[in-house]
Amino acid sequence: MAARLLYGSPVTKRLLIVDNEETILFALQRYFTRAGFIVDCASELEEAEALAIHTDYDLVIVDLALTTTGSTEGLEIIRHLRNRRSSARVIMLSAYGTTAVQHEAIRRGADIFLHKPRPLAEIASVVEQLIGGLA
Amino acid sequence: MSAMLQRLRQPGEIRVEFQPIFRVRRDHLEVYALEALARGPRGTSMERPAVMFEYARRKGAEAAIDLICMSEALRAASTLPGQPLISLNVHGSTLTGVRNFTQRFLTSAETYGIAPGRLMIEIIEHHVPWIAAKFHETLEELREAGVHIAIDDLGIGGSNFQMVVDCHPDHLKIDRHLIHGCSEDRWRRAVLQSIATLARSCDVTTIAEGIEDVADLEVLLENGIDTMQGWLYARSMPALELAKSSLLLSPPMPQRMKGSCS
Repeated sequence: MAARLLYGSPVTKRLLIVDNEETILFALQRYFTRAGFIVDCASELEEAEALAIHTDYDLVIVDLALTTTGSTEGLEIIRHLRNRRSSARVIMLSAYGTTAVQHEAIRRGADIFLHKPRPLAEIASVVEQLIGGLA
Repeated sequence: MSAMLQRLRQPGEIRVEFQPIFRVRRDHLEVYALEALARGPRGTSMERPAVMFEYARRKGAEAAIDLICMSEALRAASTLPGQPLISLNVHGSTLTGVRNFTQRFLTSAETYGIAPGRLMIEIIEHHVPWIAAKFHETLEELREAGVHIAIDDLGIGGSNFQMVVDCHPDHLKIDRHLIHGCSEDRWRRAVLQSIATLARSCDVTTIAEGIEDVADLEVLLENGIDTMQGWLYARSMPALELAKSSLLLSPPMPQRMKGSCS
């Protein structure tokens, strides 16, 4: 998959990745940057909102909880995007999402909810389905 | 406090670059001012100033970040040769929200050996409701001390005619959105013409921001707007680089511009 990503057709789609875990942020950023995406990263609600105000993203990958277990800042970010009439596709990730939270995420405008941990290749496959550009 | 906010407050994390503002004469350029432009930590989303200030605003730290940028700009400006006008961006909310702003600002300038008459405050505004009375009081204090007052990004957001009427600025900085493509857009030309008329009526200096195209430059000059900032002349650069360049002592007139100036 990595080779396909590295040598696939060039893409210039913009991704915003929001997660408070530096290791996850780093891994996703490296993976999608190498795949040819322009990638911005944020680890806080306010940072993500500030970036989304000044950039039109094709896709946002956002963790549900950005501070403590059980927090739901990710939902706020989806609300922020939709209030700004952003057409970005949204993948919400969480290790703790209940069915109610999943429904709420979709209701607010997420395209898909994925439970963590997930292999990068699987996340990439969802990205490909939503916006293409990977190979 | 979040890690990013802490980082922004660390000495040296916010960097300042300067972009020259030139007055265009028939056959030469004069350095009119240097605008200090803040940049957040390298390799982070805060490297983009618009993102950094939006973030700071959402964290309730806009004034604190403004003060850090101001201090860093004055420090860096003190290393530059000559006595150019130094222009600093300050949010309206900082002018009202920071106690004794004028005194702090002037003390900081004095520390770095910069006279108030060499300073210009560019007011930027982003929908933050400020206290009008305090805002005007601070502006009056700054004016009395000899500091120049400019409205930044005129024509977009909160930098509107209400701001002009309320602030009585001595400089209007026309936003790049109105400049780009004005040579091919009669609506932009009409707006620029009206701003030029306003400036003449009120004895105000207009500065065109983001000038990148000779055809646009000609439209501005035809309308009597002769003070320019943009990549057509010079990009922003750190103080050390600017000091080493010849831009401040003998600014070059780009070859393609010669003969196009009034």
